[in-house]
Amino acid sequence: MLKLTDVSVNYGSFTAIKHVNIEVTEGEIVVLLGANGAGKSTTFRAISGINKLDNGEIYFQNRAIGGRAPDKNVQAGIVQCAEGRKLFPQMTVQENLRMGAYVHRRKKTEIKHSLENVYELFPILKEKHHHDAGSLSGGQQQMLAIGRALMSKPKLLMLDEPSVGLAPLIVEQMFQVIEEINREGITLLLAEQNANAALSIADKGYVFENGEIVVQGTANELLANDDVRKAYIGA
Amino acid sequence: MEILLQQLFNSLTIGSVYSLVALGLTLVYGILHIPNFAHGALYMMGGYITLTMMTAFGFNYWVAMFVSILVVGLIGVLLERFVFRLLREAPPLHDKIAAIGILLFLEAFAQFVWGADFQTMTSPYGQVVTIMGLTFTMQRLLIIVSAIVVMILLYLFLKKTFTGASIIAMSQSREGASLVGININKVAMLTFMISGGLAAIAASLASPINLVFPGMGHLVILKAFVIIILGGMGSIPGAIVGGYILGFSESLGATYISNDYKDIIAFVLLVIILTVKPTGLFAKGER
Repeated sequence: MLKLTDVSVNYGSFTAIKHVNIEVTEGEIVVLLGANGAGKSTTFRAISGINKLDNGEIYFQNRAIGGRAPDKNVQAGIVQCAEGRKLFPQMTVQENLRMGAYVHRRKKTEIKHSLENVYELFPILKEKHHHDAGSLSGGQQQMLAIGRALMSKPKLLMLDEPSVGLAPLIVEQMFQVIEEINREGITLLLAEQNANAALSIADKGYVFENGEIVVQGTANELLANDDVRKAYIGA
Repeated sequence: MEILLQQLFNSLTIGSVYSLVALGLTLVYGILHIPNFAHGALYMMGGYITLTMMTAFGFNYWVAMFVSILVVGLIGVLLERFVFRLLREAPPLHDKIAAIGILLFLEAFAQFVWGADFQTMTSPYGQVVTIMGLTFTMQRLLIIVSAIVVMILLYLFLKKTFTGASIIAMSQSREGASLVGININKVAMLTFMISGGLAAIAASLASPINLVFPGMGHLVILKAFVIIILGGMGSIPGAIVGGYILGFSESLGATYISNDYKDIIAFVLLVIILTVKPTGLFAKGER
């Protein structure tokens, strides 16, 4: 479904990711592991079209999409839930969700349906639908960010560190929700530092170090890999 | 008492014009995060185009205003596309320099085409009316009513339509906007178009009670900056309320202090408010 071949991205003279190869099959959960600054977010931004490629190509459903504008990618079904959430803080929860359906703006009944689905997934958002997004707690903002991404009916949903800064109980809920989203047929690409939780729901994973993929394999292979265990699981 | 009422009415007139100009300025600031110094020049162009349409082509006042909205809106779009978009990655100072350059260019252009003379625009609504002891020309009433209608339409557009909401969304989070599939370039052009259109409306409404000349935008734009600083940069309600506050203080100041100091009042107000509340009256909580 998604394929990155030999992708490199530079920020000025600094190479953020180099020669990255990733393949995601439809229906999978694929996790990108790695420390801060290892290149996970840059990879996401390259797939979304926010960053331009300096080398390589990205294919989505067998079409080259490297360097295509972000709004075109959202229309094609690639949606990113970015790190830092990037909500509209002075808009209400419901307005944020409606903006998520921007690419479907002419289909009113469809938007209503999606809204109901998101509220079912995250009841707390329904409760707070009239509050400003900026007034929500961290966990609620994360739910809103995921909900907003779902409103565009993605085929591929990219979640950038959905568990960062959340209380352990909320993290657990978050991963349950992520599995549920996947069961509904949405392919997931997940960037995480919480390797244990991420690998427990993932099909396969890639480990980033200094902008390069150093280890890759199925979730079980990575969980069994000593280097990965030492670096990211701490056991 | 009668003087006070008369002055309140006058202040509504000036306040309406100020609010319209400030709205255009604040919309662009919200999206671009640069102060568009050329906005006063767009206002001036709006005045001249309406005037030319009426005198040279014999158009009706409203038709002339409509043409003016389209032309100045188009100038706004061109500025975004061929000046500010190219500077998006550049340091913010470059936008400001470009804006000043556009201002100088448009003023020189107006002087070249229309000359430096002060010109009058004759409104078809010059008749004097007296209601409850208030004496005013229809044009002044027209300014107030039209400005309020325009503001309500703008509010409905921004609040009730997806396209309008995309402007607000982009001003709150540019990256968030592109992540939900909003085309940033289109929204930026649209915002400049609306901003230019608002300037053209304001100039077309105000010109019959003022004069049309190449420097007519100077004082207006300075005051519009005072207004959006008062109201909080990028805040839409702030621009409206700020416009009327300035209109009121100027009119009352002109009556009860001195007409000569009318234009200073705006800046004294600015100093006082920035001392007491440096973020502006309606500033957003976090930035």
